Amino acid sequence: MKGFAKQKVPGGKLLAVKLDYSDVIEKIEILGDFFLHPEDLLQKIEKSLVGIHVDESEQAIAEKLKRVVETNSIELIGITPEAIAQTIKMAVKK
Amino acid sequence: MKWRVVELETHDAFLNMALDQAVSESILAGDSPPTIRVYKWKPSAVSIGYFQSMNDEVNIQKCEELGVDYVRRRTGGGAVYHDSEGEITYSVIAPESNFPRDIIESYEIICSWIVDGLSRINIHASFAPINDIVVSGKKISGNAQTRRGGTLLQHGTILYDLDVKTMFTVLKLSSEKISDKMIRSVEERVTRVLNYANVSQEKLCEALLQGFTSGKEYEIGEWSDEEMNRARELAETVYRTREWNFRR
Repeated sequence: MKGFAKQKVPGGKLLAVKLDYSDVIEKIEILGDFFLHPEDLLQKIEKSLVGIHVDESEQAIAEKLKRVVETNSIELIGITPEAIAQTIKMAVKK
Repeated sequence: MKWRVVELETHDAFLNMALDQAVSESILAGDSPPTIRVYKWKPSAVSIGYFQSMNDEVNIQKCEELGVDYVRRRTGGGAVYHDSEGEITYSVIAPESNFPRDIIESYEIICSWIVDGLSRINIHASFAPINDIVVSGKKISGNAQTRRGGTLLQHGTILYDLDVKTMFTVLKLSSEKISDKMIRSVEERVTRVLNYANVSQEKLCEALLQGFTSGKEYEIGEWSDEEMNRARELAETVYRTREWNFRR
């Protein structure tokens, strides 16, 4: 199945998620007009989400994202791990 | 630290973005001084942020019809329509160590140079985090920054005139038909130099460069052959390619 969701992060930027999924996330693209430093590490974030069960809670996904962000010293501007997790859940629900 | 200032130039979208990268690389190699440049885009072009999807943001068919180029930037942020006569773009490229580690703080510093420049033509602007400059609450300048390999690149636009109709045609801001209501809504949020100061583009550039260079040691310079050759190479092998522009 394919999923898509988009939201303006409160006080932040536009964030969109495109998903291919079955029981788990098979492919994911995170898109938007946010900033992320270093830029090339967005792919690392996307990869870390592949294989996650779509029934995983929003909080659990956010926690996982936080760990990836911290471990790799990624700086997010205009989006947050929580907002990404929320958008993923929105994309799965649709 | 002595800055190099490269005065107003006009290039196509691909060479403009390639020059920013070529100069960043050259600074990293220790071959070029920190650089401030101002430039225009000819043909007019749309640039999209590094994390945006070209097909989601840009009406490619309309761009082709109108002869508007489209290019992905190496900075984040949103899609921008660069009208060849409607705006001035700048880049500041320097070792990252010359700026605070905090990215928003460094936006504020570079944006304060633009605010200074605008004040010289009696436009009272201010920095609006994350990355905008506003006049009376309306956006007049958008800015985007990247830091790679120890160099900082910040580029941004200062709106001089605004062709809202073409902007709506080439950007997929909404699937709705272009309506007067939408145009009014953009005009409520965005403004331009000509709304506040009846100055030529040359005068605007002069004011901006005064703001950029105030209190700095600098000299007017030009690109080295190595920088220009590398930029031409990057324009063809990266910025003009489908692989780069449609990677998302």
